[in-house]
Amino acid sequence: MIRGGQNYVSSPPAFSNDGNRVLVCTGNTVSIFSSSTGLQVSSLEGHTAPVTSVFVVPATDILCYCWTSSFDGTVRYWDFSVPEMVKKLDLGMPIFSMVIPSFLGSSEENNAKTANVFAYVSVHDGKAWQIRKCSLTNYQNVGKLVLKETERLEPLIISPSGKFFGIKDKRKLHIWKLPRVESDLAVAKKITLHHTKTITVLAFHPTERTVAAGDVTGRILIWRGFGTQKFLDHSGSNNRISMNDGEDKNGVRQNDDAESCSAWHWHSAGVCLLSFSPDGAYLYSGGKEGVLVLWQLDSGKKKFLPRIGSPLLYFIESPDPSLSLISCADNQIHMLKTPSMEIIKSISGIKPPLSYQEICESFSGKAAFDCTSGLVAVQTENYGIQFYSLFANRGVYEVQVCERNHQPVDEVTVAVTLVELSVDGSIMGTVEIKLPEEGVGGLVSLKFWDLDSDTKRFSVSTVIYEPHRDAHISAIAFHPTRRMAVSSSYGGDFKIWVCKEGDIQQKGQALQNSGWMCHAVGSYKNKAMRAATFSADGSVLAVAADTVITLWDPDKNVLMAVVGETPTPIVSLAFAGKSEYLLSVSHGLKPQLSVWSMSKLTMAWSYRLQIEAVSSAIDSSYFAILALLPGSNERAFKGNGIILLFNATDPIPVASMSVTKAKGGGLAFLKGDLSERAVIDGKTSQTLLVYINGDREYVIFDPYDKEGHKLSIIRQDVALEETGQFGYSSIYGELPKFDLQKDKAASVMSTASERPWETIFTGSTHMLPPLTKLCSVFLESLLEKRAALAE
Amino acid sequence: MAEPLHSSQPKIFPVKPKQKPKPRTQNQTPESKYWSSFKNTQIQNLISVPSLTFSPSSPHPFAAAHSATVSIYKPQNDPLDSPTTTITSFKDVVSSLSFRSDGRLLAAGDLSGLVQVFDVGGGSAAARSALRRLRSHVRPVRFVHYPKLQRLRVISAGDDALVKVWDVAAGDSPVMELRGHRDYVRCGDSSPVDADTFITGSYDHTVKLWDVRVGDSKPAIEVNHGNPVEDVVFLPAGGMVATAGGNSVKFWDLISGGKLVCSMEGHNKTVTSLCIGRIGSGSDEELNQFRVLSVGLDGYMKVFDYSSMKVTHSMRFPAPLLSVAYSPDCKTRVIGTSNGIIYVGKRKIKEEEIEGRVSEKSLFWRIRPLEHTQKKVFRPSHFRYFQRGQGEKPSEGDYLIMRPKKEKLGEHDKLLKNFRHGEALVSVLEGKNPGNVLAVMEELVSRKKLMVCVSNLDAEKLELLLVFLRKYCTVPRYSGLLMGLARKVLKMRVDEIRGSEALKAHIQNLKRSIEEEIKIQQSLQEIQGIISPLLKIAGRR
Repeated sequence: MIRGGQNYVSSPPAFSNDGNRVLVCTGNTVSIFSSSTGLQVSSLEGHTAPVTSVFVVPATDILCYCWTSSFDGTVRYWDFSVPEMVKKLDLGMPIFSMVIPSFLGSSEENNAKTANVFAYVSVHDGKAWQIRKCSLTNYQNVGKLVLKETERLEPLIISPSGKFFGIKDKRKLHIWKLPRVESDLAVAKKITLHHTKTITVLAFHPTERTVAAGDVTGRILIWRGFGTQKFLDHSGSNNRISMNDGEDKNGVRQNDDAESCSAWHWHSAGVCLLSFSPDGAYLYSGGKEGVLVLWQLDSGKKKFLPRIGSPLLYFIESPDPSLSLISCADNQIHMLKTPSMEIIKSISGIKPPLSYQEICESFSGKAAFDCTSGLVAVQTENYGIQFYSLFANRGVYEVQVCERNHQPVDEVTVAVTLVELSVDGSIMGTVEIKLPEEGVGGLVSLKFWDLDSDTKRFSVSTVIYEPHRDAHISAIAFHPTRRMAVSSSYGGDFKIWVCKEGDIQQKGQALQNSGWMCHAVGSYKNKAMRAATFSADGSVLAVAADTVITLWDPDKNVLMAVVGETPTPIVSLAFAGKSEYLLSVSHGLKPQLSVWSMSKLTMAWSYRLQIEAVSSAIDSSYFAILALLPGSNERAFKGNGIILLFNATDPIPVASMSVTKAKGGGLAFLKGDLSERAVIDGKTSQTLLVYINGDREYVIFDPYDKEGHKLSIIRQDVALEETGQFGYSSIYGELPKFDLQKDKAASVMSTASERPWETIFTGSTHMLPPLTKLCSVFLESLLEKRAALAE
Repeated sequence: MAEPLHSSQPKIFPVKPKQKPKPRTQNQTPESKYWSSFKNTQIQNLISVPSLTFSPSSPHPFAAAHSATVSIYKPQNDPLDSPTTTITSFKDVVSSLSFRSDGRLLAAGDLSGLVQVFDVGGGSAAARSALRRLRSHVRPVRFVHYPKLQRLRVISAGDDALVKVWDVAAGDSPVMELRGHRDYVRCGDSSPVDADTFITGSYDHTVKLWDVRVGDSKPAIEVNHGNPVEDVVFLPAGGMVATAGGNSVKFWDLISGGKLVCSMEGHNKTVTSLCIGRIGSGSDEELNQFRVLSVGLDGYMKVFDYSSMKVTHSMRFPAPLLSVAYSPDCKTRVIGTSNGIIYVGKRKIKEEEIEGRVSEKSLFWRIRPLEHTQKKVFRPSHFRYFQRGQGEKPSEGDYLIMRPKKEKLGEHDKLLKNFRHGEALVSVLEGKNPGNVLAVMEELVSRKKLMVCVSNLDAEKLELLLVFLRKYCTVPRYSGLLMGLARKVLKMRVDEIRGSEALKAHIQNLKRSIEEEIKIQQSLQEIQGIISPLLKIAGRR
């Protein structure tokens, strides 16, 4: 089994100490990426539930240890260079967030404390989220002491100095100061800062007692000198003074313990990201609109990195000051060159499903599969198609379908509703719609794309505006062997398109002339057509006209037969491989999967199932369906969906697998020649089935294999890493080797000489001995000379 | 590699009009480009022009017969309206004209049966009166021709079905009278390679090749075109002739005894005139490609490539065409129509030709002092020292680092970028390109701002919008959006429109054009109703 398509942005990533590795929480594992190539290097596997936080132990470059916490209630300690687990603590309660203050702060303190490491965790005890303290060295359970209970998940944020940590809770900030000497019973002191709006994010200044918080309206509040009264152990006098002149605390609400509070407002929507630069001079902020803003703390001046294209979530500085990471909501992690604010590389995860599914009836969030090269094409929020390699588990590239800039805050008016790939993966069809404004100006356009054989990228070949007048397109299907496609519409007709090749022999100009043309139009009793498919040899075209299936000769456009009737409209059609059976899926009140025999033109068998996806193996009569299970059955099977594998002749399933998040999922058989990339226990597998769930996580497995052998990937593309320069040397280059011997020699030369008066004053002034000393030497040298003359 | 850089970098998508489908065949072949490079000017206010002919001698003036007048024009004159010479000594309508091979004499025949020869080399005064009046035809003369290789003779023929050969020097009576045609003789041509043979075409459907050395009235070769022959022309090699009659142009091989080579059926009505056209510049004979130009009553001029048997260019004129002529220097092409307009197509001489001449001339001035070619070395005291090398051109092997191209944005794009939606709409409405207007409207729709823009337009700009709507509302490509928009505009701005007379007028125009469109739609539906049963029947078989 190969898993992939994980969410990279569920929790903040972390850099390793040398800055060469990025640790990203990906579901139940932690994936380790190389920051120089952006490719995955290894992963930490062991947690049984999603990992919620990863914390790299600060040390020298060589040591690679990290702590992780997970919803499975364990905290684990890893050596991620190997990678293997060193130890495991079971707290028994799901952990949402964990901070370990002990490792931060100055190094001397660190050494003293290594004996006893404490962590603050946010755990769930069955009723509410609690913040508790636990010792990581004594193998104890969570301390009994509850610092704070919150209703919702609130991540713990720690200050880079390790002295404070805090959480946001609705309109309040709670900040704790850590006790100077950690012990099980030492209680952290707490202050609370208030605001009038719901706070979304907070960040601590690296050196000063300053905290910044962003709220839902886009304001950034900066409290300076928080906790002057409570955290600083001064005498009561200080306390009294500040109580008296409350008007000095400009902007601070109520009796909050801070010296001043200022607000900045640039973001139009909620702030999602706040981070101070390591030197404390700048503040990074980002929000839903996808613009990274760099604020100069003293002056409030701004610099922008616009059009990242997706809401920003986390900003992580690397130990290398010129590199940082931004995590975006579209499952991309961008590496940012900090001084020039430009994106140099991206770790590209599969883009999340679109949030605007209910935009219109023709919208289909289904992914399209390129079975031969193992790619999946998914629609993205920014009106494009992302091609994601299933085996390499990374985004390959994206094509822009609508020529529009995507602004995450904008209302959705344009959408790519449909994407379809031909069997050999060389042609792509996309449908995009523009929503009308008050009934004016809606547009449907169909685009055909050709795969460039050199670059392996799609480029537009033909654009067809309003292919079925106003009616939306319900399905596109490609002919298995020829350059022919069919599009069916809700308006009650279907069109067959053919690609006329230009005279390639002639010139380059003629090539551009090749394009798709309408070859034929067909309709059946003006019924809405919701699905279309070609048979395996391409001789029959099946189009679903409402509740019946019409069979056509695609070349002559002649209606050959009309088959049967289902209780509710058919939404999906597929031929079962090379067999004579046709599958139809209908939704609605009486959902049904029907298998029709083409030789008898009657229904062979059917199931009352809510089918989400159907896929048939290309070269056999097997097909797989993904069925949604009704709520009552949920106990019998573990997930909310089931994959059933059938032979078309037989209504008894060959195999079944239970899956989760089946709503909006997809299925596809991958072709056997991929087996060189995937090996099951040494022997290659001919057929692989890929299941992609509603969150676009996928799993590839062999459906015929009963024992569920582990399918392992032979990674071919773990790129050799360049040994990049880092830190000082990356900016100024290597320093010349400091050679002590040489230095000494030079100094000797300047003092001892046969003729000291020549060298005595050479050298820079600050190197020379005081004049009083020089004078005597000088005079002495003159005297010697005289003596010599006298002789 | 992971993702390339630009995937998430800022990118601007300018608002572009929708693409139009490209024609499957290239509409501009190099040849049709050549033929459409003749820029048309018109000579108007004549009465139908049955004959046009170019002088074979430079600068190739052309003579046009119209009514009882012959006008000679110089195509080099820029306003072509006034002829250089006008000959009016005719009693009846002039039917045919022919220049002598040196261009000094012009023969003209008229419907009174008289053939006259004029001196056109000596200016307008000399041409007033005829040098010779050759009277022998009793019926109208339809064809007069100076043979291409003969200076002394003139051939004429007419409605009396007789072909006569005159010795111009000798005068009054014809040298030879050839009987053989049984109907009106309308046309003829002389061989470009032989001084003694010529052909005539007649309404008796035949084309006859005559040899003046053979005295008897028997044609050497006779071919049957199958229709009354309107025009006949020798192809430049002399071995083939093209005949026009009915709707077809036929090509005959004379050497093989009058075999039909091919037939061009491109015209929809009678082909009235033919001439030989030439592609190519100047003297180089091998580069020259000859074409047959034909004009017909259907108003089409077609260019036929008889070597590949293809119509290579076709051009439409708004009147029935009667005559065509092509100047020997390939610069001018004239077409005469039945309603008295001469279309003169003039082609600009290619720059290469001029350059070629110039370079030849400049050879004389190649001697140049060598010192000047050496580079001057600047001293730091000179200001140019600080600019040295700025104008340096890259040499062959240099790796060029181009300045990143700045994307050019239109006015409307800039305004849209600044969210000044209303101004963008107005600026594009003031422009000329309806495609751009539509693109901006679509962009506004997707920003959900079109209705706001429309409701905020002031009266003047609203007028602009209404004018646009009236113009393009019924264009099928735009109607989808514009019809809906027009309705919305009327609904939203009804008060302003009622208040202003100018706007009301626009609305009435809009109404009219929509009514027109509805009529068209109805008639189209009627046609569809007629056709669809036929198609059904055809489909059954």
